[in-house]
Amino acid sequence: MVAAKKNTALRVCETHVQAVRNTFPGAVLDATWQAEDQVTITVPTDMLPDVVEFLYYGRGGWLPNMVANDERPLNGNYALYYLLSMEEEDPGFVTVRVEVDPYAMEYPSVTPRVPACVWSEREAYDMFGLRAVGLPDQRRLVLPDDWPDGLFPLQKDAMDYRKRPAPVTDVENYSFLYEGNAEETTQVPMGPLHITSDEPGHFRLFVDGEDIIDADYRLFYVHRGMEKVAESRLDYDAVTFLADRICGICGNAHSVAYAEAVEHAQGIEVPIRAQYIRAILLEVERLHSHLLNLGLVCHYCGFDTGFQHFFRVREKAMDLAVLLTGARKTYGLNLIGGVRRDILDKQKIATMSYVRELRNDVEALVDMLVSTANFESRTAGIGRLDPAVARDYSPVGPCVRGSGIARDVRFDHPFDGYKYLTGLKARSHDGCDVQSRTLVRVEEFMDSLTMIEQMLDGAPGGPIRTEDWQYTPHKYALGYTEAPRGEDMHWAQVGDNQKCYRWRAKAATYSNWPILRYMFRGNTVADAAIIVGSMDPCYSCTDRVTIVDVNKKTSKILTKDQLEDYCSRRTHSPLMEKGA
Amino acid sequence: MFKLFKEIRNAGNATTGYPFEPLEMPEGFRGKPEHNETLCIACGACAIACPPNAITMELSQDQEYMTWDISYGRCIFCGRCQEVCPLFAIKLTTDFELAVMSKDDLRESCAYEVAHCERCGKPYAVAKEVDYARRILAREGGLAAADIEKLDLCLDCRRADDAVAFQKQSCEGGRA
Repeated sequence: MVAAKKNTALRVCETHVQAVRNTFPGAVLDATWQAEDQVTITVPTDMLPDVVEFLYYGRGGWLPNMVANDERPLNGNYALYYLLSMEEEDPGFVTVRVEVDPYAMEYPSVTPRVPACVWSEREAYDMFGLRAVGLPDQRRLVLPDDWPDGLFPLQKDAMDYRKRPAPVTDVENYSFLYEGNAEETTQVPMGPLHITSDEPGHFRLFVDGEDIIDADYRLFYVHRGMEKVAESRLDYDAVTFLADRICGICGNAHSVAYAEAVEHAQGIEVPIRAQYIRAILLEVERLHSHLLNLGLVCHYCGFDTGFQHFFRVREKAMDLAVLLTGARKTYGLNLIGGVRRDILDKQKIATMSYVRELRNDVEALVDMLVSTANFESRTAGIGRLDPAVARDYSPVGPCVRGSGIARDVRFDHPFDGYKYLTGLKARSHDGCDVQSRTLVRVEEFMDSLTMIEQMLDGAPGGPIRTEDWQYTPHKYALGYTEAPRGEDMHWAQVGDNQKCYRWRAKAATYSNWPILRYMFRGNTVADAAIIVGSMDPCYSCTDRVTIVDVNKKTSKILTKDQLEDYCSRRTHSPLMEKGA
Repeated sequence: MFKLFKEIRNAGNATTGYPFEPLEMPEGFRGKPEHNETLCIACGACAIACPPNAITMELSQDQEYMTWDISYGRCIFCGRCQEVCPLFAIKLTTDFELAVMSKDDLRESCAYEVAHCERCGKPYAVAKEVDYARRILAREGGLAAADIEKLDLCLDCRRADDAVAFQKQSCEGGRA
């Protein structure tokens, strides 16, 4: 009989580490815990695809993203961190780390086994020059066409962040991939300025008549190089303010995620009251974001009165944010160790009355939206996201919850004030279409109101910030929040100079873009806008769309108004007019 | 449909008259930071805390003046300066109308005289900051104020003095 071990209680995620050890003997070179629920295992480079695939499909893991890191100054190698969110038994985060030889700069691609890695692996090449051997799609992801080959901006010795290399080409040479079978298709390029968004992205629709056969797209026209700036210019404690500016809508979620990444790594205990306040503000942010999207759904359904009214009511959510934070957006309230503003009694009472008003107003509006004849016909069965595709690509937020998969960081890995909620669970609908995604948002909006009430009542008194910790260089960890669009995942490692050594910020929509082409397939051009809108991408209105008929070698430019008009009315196709 | 009409009627007029009438921002709104140059001792805490480097401090070429400078174009209105200021000399107001016709109008600056070391003549701190320290020490009195005249020396000279004193003490201590 084996004597009882000293420590019988397993640590969080230890079962996963054991399972990897049992399945792949000798594969786990090292296992360290960064925080209570986060473990990093180092495996040999050639075992990487096997281990990630095993954890992903075999142990109920989902893959938010992969972080590449230039660790040559620390240990002589590059390193890759495949972050896995374990959401079935023994929930927590398992990070699979491999070291990559700095001379070969190659590692076996995981994408053929776990498609969710595709964007991260493409990005690892752009930023670090690490080549994934066997990666099916080796195009650039982040860098523009005119960026010189062989200059990898995030390598520590690559470049000064203030300098820009001279452009190497004047023409766009990005090739769009077509995966359909039909031979005669018409290509519809949309963008770089896009229909539903104020931010640029180039969409290429492959259509047969009105039907979308396939779609490809490129984004990152507005890549701002924040990670490089954070490493080079800002102190690690000022990065919360930069993270606030990643997104104009869900910036607070990024700010909290960054702060918590550093706090987890440094072992900082955030006071309970601060945790509550952070969660309340995250929900306040969700209120205005979901109202924005519900307004847009009205707009795409041709129910513009509803759009106006959702935006009128949304203004109350904005006022609530001003009341609690002093700004409509970019709340800027997070510091490493806590928050900067307390919620006073007076504000608490005012918040409660805002919440009541919002609940009544939105209930009435949603009732109207759902009973609009157009809503059902424009959203049901449109933009289908197959749960099997969802499983492969790890999408997040209402996008995946609309396909019957109830993934929600707030409930899978409760953090901050969410730990103390009662009687709520992740929402999901299994229609897999635009309608389901919209209904998920409606329900979540109502849940957010309940959460705010519960947390305002439940928040204990006490300090809102701690300064009691020791700074330890080169420790890293994950921070995660559920932004309105899905999980935000930040990986941060501080250096020995009070700066971030590496900061990887993953926005929710980064996980959702790769599935968009599957949502497009089988729909019509008229549905394109509402499908993109249902994803609620972190970017919004184009000014025009160019339609190119490859067979006739003609092109036609549609204005944004034409396309949106077509989207709401679905008659008088602009493609059918002369010139097409 | 009738519900919709009812909602529209109940909603009334949702817009405000701004910019043709003033828009009141609520208490606690984070707008333009206002610097009170009389209270300020140019200690530089705000310049260190400022995440976007909107507040900077620069020593003039002739080393006579320290210039405190803020650029509202860079400011992100986070209010860190207000939090760290020991003298409440900077405060965020509710003023948000910052548009100007010329970029230079986005800057405000204020120069402070620099104190020079009595012994070596090197500039070592802003004179106002030294005075502030002197006033506090004098008010405290007793042990705290024992070395008050050392305030006129720069850090290097004070260090040299301390070293000499320490050497002297250790020699005496050794003999005892």
